[in-house]
Amino acid sequence: MPASPDYYALLGVLRDASVEEIKRAYVTSAQRLHPDKNKAPGETEMFLDIQQAYETLSNPKRRAQYDLSLPKQEAPFSPVSVKISYSRPNLVRLNEPQLLYTMLEVGGRAQDKDVPAPPLNVCLVLDRSTSMKDAKMDLLKAASIEVMRNMRAEDIFSVVTFSDHAEVVIPASLQPNRSKLESVIRSIQPAGATEMYQGLEAGFGEVSRNLDPRRVNHVILLTDGHTYGDENACLDLAARAAQVGIGISCMGIGNDWNDTFLDEVAMRTGNTSRYIARPLDIQKILTEKFRELTRRVAEEVTLEFQPPPGVSLNYAFRMQPESGPVVIEKTMRLGPILRDTHLGVLFEFTVHPLALRGVDTAIILEGGLKVSMPSRPTPVPPLRIRFERGVGAEAGNEPPSGVILQALSKLTLYRMQERARAQIQVGEFEKATRSLKHLASHLLTQGQQGLAHTVMLEVENLQRSNGITQEGGKEIKYATRALMMK
Amino acid sequence: MIICSNCQHKNPPGSIFCAECGVQLLTGEMTTQAITTGKVLELVGDDAQMAAKTVQPAPPITDSSWGSLHLLESGQILPLNERDEYTLGRISEGQPVMPDMDLSPFQAYANGVSRLHALLKHDGKRVVIMDLGSANGTYVNGKRLASNSERLINHGDVVALGKLKFQVLVR
Repeated sequence: MPASPDYYALLGVLRDASVEEIKRAYVTSAQRLHPDKNKAPGETEMFLDIQQAYETLSNPKRRAQYDLSLPKQEAPFSPVSVKISYSRPNLVRLNEPQLLYTMLEVGGRAQDKDVPAPPLNVCLVLDRSTSMKDAKMDLLKAASIEVMRNMRAEDIFSVVTFSDHAEVVIPASLQPNRSKLESVIRSIQPAGATEMYQGLEAGFGEVSRNLDPRRVNHVILLTDGHTYGDENACLDLAARAAQVGIGISCMGIGNDWNDTFLDEVAMRTGNTSRYIARPLDIQKILTEKFRELTRRVAEEVTLEFQPPPGVSLNYAFRMQPESGPVVIEKTMRLGPILRDTHLGVLFEFTVHPLALRGVDTAIILEGGLKVSMPSRPTPVPPLRIRFERGVGAEAGNEPPSGVILQALSKLTLYRMQERARAQIQVGEFEKATRSLKHLASHLLTQGQQGLAHTVMLEVENLQRSNGITQEGGKEIKYATRALMMK
Repeated sequence: MIICSNCQHKNPPGSIFCAECGVQLLTGEMTTQAITTGKVLELVGDDAQMAAKTVQPAPPITDSSWGSLHLLESGQILPLNERDEYTLGRISEGQPVMPDMDLSPFQAYANGVSRLHALLKHDGKRVVIMDLGSANGTYVNGKRLASNSERLINHGDVVALGKLKFQVLVR
């Protein structure tokens, strides 16, 4: 323990944090580190430290005294590098709303490459409903066994199956004897309905038992069907999981599952859903997921913000590492940083005239960026993030930054399919047809003949039967998403 | 308000791609230009409105320009107008000689573009390209060039620096 511990760093708050923020940070850490609940050695000591920190910082007088003893506002140590790019050199004084795109890139430090890959704490939640029978189930079992064989000795691993109810097939532990477990997985039999909440909850329970900020804590759900009636419960569970630092990734096999819903579950935790068109690909995609999890330098980056009056955030999309939409809420879960891939999120703002009134520099977004890193279990103080642009009478002449142009040229395609699907939902079939045709022509110019063909087939379906196929819809959605990852 | 030249959709100022049809919008703010998708639209769209829009608007190229590079992957067009000679490559840290045109925003590194990869030259009539001893080679219409010898470029030739492909449009 250094002579004067940095209480702000201990609690993971900024020097200028409000009393409210300090209290919240204290309660969150205290719950996790309480001697009745903590697991790792040394956490009781950490609990005592944060108590001391809270006692000092919650009292304005003592806090002021403590602040004086701190070295003068040196640049706070930051474990990540942040880069912000804008679509325009400045905003223009106009009487109408205008758009601004901002790309936020958060990367690890070069020395992170030497940090050993974080150990995992992962639960596989497998759908064993009747529809999974035969080839699908066999391939799913084979894939599960394969990833289990590839786990390292330090990884914690568990398996849950679900149909009408959930069953913990392999309880979470370090699994020293893996060959025995293979026969357990082989004996899974498909039967029953798909009650996803049961499965997710059991998976959440298994990961929670060994919840450890030094690990990547994750639930992977594999399913081929719809769940009925418990969607909201699933979403609530995802929100709870996100709060304690457990990620959820979803994978849908075949065509008869609800991609919007699974996306939403995963998005709540800053993760995404994947489409497994053919059961043969289960193993490939599951292995990819595991490889991604072991490459996480930061399990999650969150952005807490309040948009200033006159500015609204319309859309946020993670371009990489795993591209996918980001939920817009007070605490946005942006996604992970991988050791070789930084996090890149594109924001679209509408700036109303109100925000520009009487200022030379308009603030677009102000907030704190929090990074949770398995290699640094103590909370890292959030970084102040500010998006701002000068306000001029005329538009500047600089072209938009290359990253933004590149990102937008791909994202535009994804948004066009999103738009077409929304138009189909509300019965605007003609508009949807037009959107899909535009999409097809752009795909052709970008050399994506195969995908353009799929889109045109769906245009035909749309004209014939006022709808697109489940298969085509998913293919187009996930393929336009994958375009962004190249 | 920016009115899309392809579909007449009204986009708010600051838009870069049309929200309706996805075409890159042309504004004074930009030096890159939308590629017209004339031919493709004919292939795909059969409704009259789209067909009517396939007439190519003359790209607003400044007078001094002698050509442009059309990047095939991203569809962007980079004008060639400030100088008669361009070295193409990518800027990376600690590099003594900078290329005139930095291709790193177009994933030059991943595509194997060398820092100083090739030279594109215009002498009033002809456009030539020369490989500057790059690691992954320069290809014109799929044929690899010998290093440091000039090769004539015709309008529409596809050049690849490593795997980064673009079409040279000569004015």
